[in-house]
Amino acid sequence: MKRVVMKFGGTSVGNGEHIRHVASLISNHLNKDYQMVVVISALKRVTDKLIEASKEAKSGNRDHVHKLLQKTTKKHVAAARNAIKNKQIRDEVEQTLKTILDELEKVLTGIIYLGELTPKSKDYVLSFGERMSTLIVWGALRDLGLNVQYFTGKDAGIVTDSNFGEARPLIKVTLHEVKQKVEPLLEKGIIPVVTGYIAANQDGEITTLGRGGSDYTATIIAAALEADEVWIWTDVDGLMTSDPKIVPSTKVISELSFQEAIELAIFGAKAMHPKALEPAMEKEVPVRIRNTFNPQSLGTLIVKEQKIKAKDVVKGTTIIKNLALINISGAGMVGTPGTAAKVFDMLGKNNINVLMISQSASEANISFILHRDGLERAVSTLEIALLGSGLIREVTAEDDVCVVAVVGAGMKGTPGVAARLFGAIARKGLNVRMIAQGSSELNISFVVKETDGEKAVRAIHEEFKL
Amino acid sequence: MRIILIGYGVVGQSLTQIFTQRRAELIKNYGFHPRVVAIVDRRGAAVNPKGLNLEKTLSLKAERNTVAAHHERGHPGMSALNVIENVDAETIVEATPTNIKDGEPGLSHIKTALKTGKHVVTTNKGPLALALPVLTELANYNKAYLKFSGTVGGGTPVLDLAKRCLMGDRILSIRGILNGTTNYILTEMDGRHITFEEALNNAQKLGYAEANPSMDVDGLDAACKLVIMANWIMNKRVTLKDVSIQGIRNVTLQALKEAAKRDCTIKLIGSINEKLKVAPTEISKQDPLCVGGVLNAVTFVSEFAGEETIVGRGAGGMETASAILRDLLDIKQNLATRLMS
Ligand SMILES: NC(=O)c1ccc[n+]([C@@H]2O[C@H](COP(=O)([O-])OP(=O)(O)OC[C@H]3O[C@@H](n4cnc5c(N)ncnc54)[C@H](OP(=O)(O)O)[C@@H]3O)[C@@H](O)[C@H]2O)c1
Repeated sequence: MKRVVMKFGGTSVGNGEHIRHVASLISNHLNKDYQMVVVISALKRVTDKLIEASKEAKSGNRDHVHKLLQKTTKKHVAAARNAIKNKQIRDEVEQTLKTILDELEKVLTGIIYLGELTPKSKDYVLSFGERMSTLIVWGALRDLGLNVQYFTGKDAGIVTDSNFGEARPLIKVTLHEVKQKVEPLLEKGIIPVVTGYIAANQDGEITTLGRGGSDYTATIIAAALEADEVWIWTDVDGLMTSDPKIVPSTKVISELSFQEAIELAIFGAKAMHPKALEPAMEKEVPVRIRNTFNPQSLGTLIVKEQKIKAKDVVKGTTIIKNLALINISGAGMVGTPGTAAKVFDMLGKNNINVLMISQSASEANISFILHRDGLERAVSTLEIALLGSGLIREVTAEDDVCVVAVVGAGMKGTPGVAARLFGAIARKGLNVRMIAQGSSELNISFVVKETDGEKAVRAIHEEFKL
Repeated sequence: MRIILIGYGVVGQSLTQIFTQRRAELIKNYGFHPRVVAIVDRRGAAVNPKGLNLEKTLSLKAERNTVAAHHERGHPGMSALNVIENVDAETIVEATPTNIKDGEPGLSHIKTALKTGKHVVTTNKGPLALALPVLTELANYNKAYLKFSGTVGGGTPVLDLAKRCLMGDRILSIRGILNGTTNYILTEMDGRHITFEEALNNAQKLGYAEANPSMDVDGLDAACKLVIMANWIMNKRVTLKDVSIQGIRNVTLQALKEAAKRDCTIKLIGSINEKLKVAPTEISKQDPLCVGGVLNAVTFVSEFAGEETIVGRGAGGMETASAILRDLLDIKQNLATRLMS
């Protein structure tokens, strides 16, 4: 008996046919002696529509809200009709959908009257997406004769803080509650079907888990149930060695470690959010990323530690665009210990997020990378705070850079990787503006002009034969 | 510092001239790097989040009469309010024409800026004369600075003398010649024995007086400055309607001759004691306040330091722009302290 938590993303449950396909995928595994928990995201694009509706409600655009509600209703009713054949089940699901949608309408009307959208009410509105999609999947599974039970994240026992919009689970409480509430069903052969993304604080008010949402729900539940694996079903074959749009010969990475996956995610790979990997990593539950529409492929397996083969020192390479580089310089920084710390502390307090830092050996120079849309504010803030203090002479900026990151646990302790890497870059005539190596030595990242970024990624791909 | 400049007339253009001429010096000596991210006049705006090229905006204004004609950065028809709400900046400089009926458009510009957390430097007396207590509360509530050195005395640091240099002392009363145009007219009448009409005519020819001289000769401009001083220096919560105002249209050559016999002359004096008052007043020619031409002069009577009189040009584009610059530098220093604490 193998215990697996499966999560299906928005594309996987994009419409009624897809939901039927998902239901049969689940049912196929049941025959193979699996204990399963299923976690469901909102239908594709529904969350965006709910965000739009809540904003329009806040601005009092009654008509627009009404239109969005109608569209949402139509989409879900159509999905239910296509996903569920049995009339009785279908009627039941449709009836419940209507009740849920009535509730949504009331909530949005309330927002229209108040003209106010608090993070708390926004979370409440967003919760409707998963509540409806999960209900339909639940119906589709019953339609195939499976023994299933519907849970919201709250009912499943996920308890968070009250940081609405980006809530964090009280992890010990959550693991305990989820185990108590969900495990007995598995033992009875029932499949719990759980809404992704949404949870509740200790007072029972609905919260959402923010970025990484439904994946996070899946790994939390897996950790609580000490599952054998988490399967993240999505619309790609797994994590790629790089972006297929840049390198056509990109391959699926068959296996990597949590650390590597986190580094890839931080550096912009279309991967799981690092936050969502945490519970699985903690309890050493392997995570598999699979393609709903190509279930034969085994996808990418993320595991605790992985035997490093000599030939694959580099796992993947990514690129982060829309960045800018700021350079502050001045002899005043030399021998004034703590300048850099002070500067970054000040930036942090002003919500300016720094991605990468390098300081020249002479200390007269600090360069760092940040998101481009914050550039002007950052430069102005630095100038106001530091110019004239005697510490720095000038602040300069470049707004056309990108970061290329190379990730792989094998780089650690393999001599000459950096030399090979930068040799390959140099042979293409690309100018490296800044280099940083994470202390974990799992990644080397460097900065080049944005127009050179893709060339750099291709050069690395060639050099390390990814 | 990112600055939005609203109003690109005499004062606004002078400010950008100072910025272009003094760029290196401002950075080196004051750590001040002004980036004018938007300029707005009546026809629209020019916007560049990294900072506009000010040589370019000056020549555009001179040749095409509006910054909105900027071919990459111009936004014809874009309003000042739209810019204040949507362009990121730390500070706005408000230099649109003074209006003492309802303070607009300056009043809305300043309120909106403060509400969106932007610091304000203004030379526009209208909004302050009508609503300084309101604006001060808004500024405090939004933790924004509101500075207006240029509204009284142009480049002459009248407000700062009282507020900073006399810090700790108590100012008991203020008297002053607060309007250069009327002082020019009265000086001409007295010295050359010409009538009010003739003197006004000369002032208009020389560009000292507007085509519609009412703000100046009816004492309104002086009254606005009085209100600002009463609020800022003496903490009186007053507005324009609390001032009794009399202009200089009725000052006769006869009256000036009579005064001269007593070694006196008649000046348009604004005074703050228990009451606020602007009126033609006879003063001794030996009084340090008795300055000629377009000069302004203000005497502060304080409890310990006694009488101090400050004399200066009182108006002018470059002069007033220099007061804006002082305010901006002051804000920059305060912000630097705030940021690094
Ligand atoms: N000049 C001085 O010596 C002096 C001294 C102290 C205080 N002040 C005060 O400073 C302010 C500016 O004086 P100034 O001599 O520079 O006046 P100005 O030459 O008449 O300039 C006024 C500027 O404001 C613009 N403007 C008018 N309405 C506007 C609106 N709704 N939105 C955006 N811009 C608008 C005008 O646009 P256009 O260019 O398109 O007409 C013009 O550029 C006045 O309040 C004045 O009382 C002046």
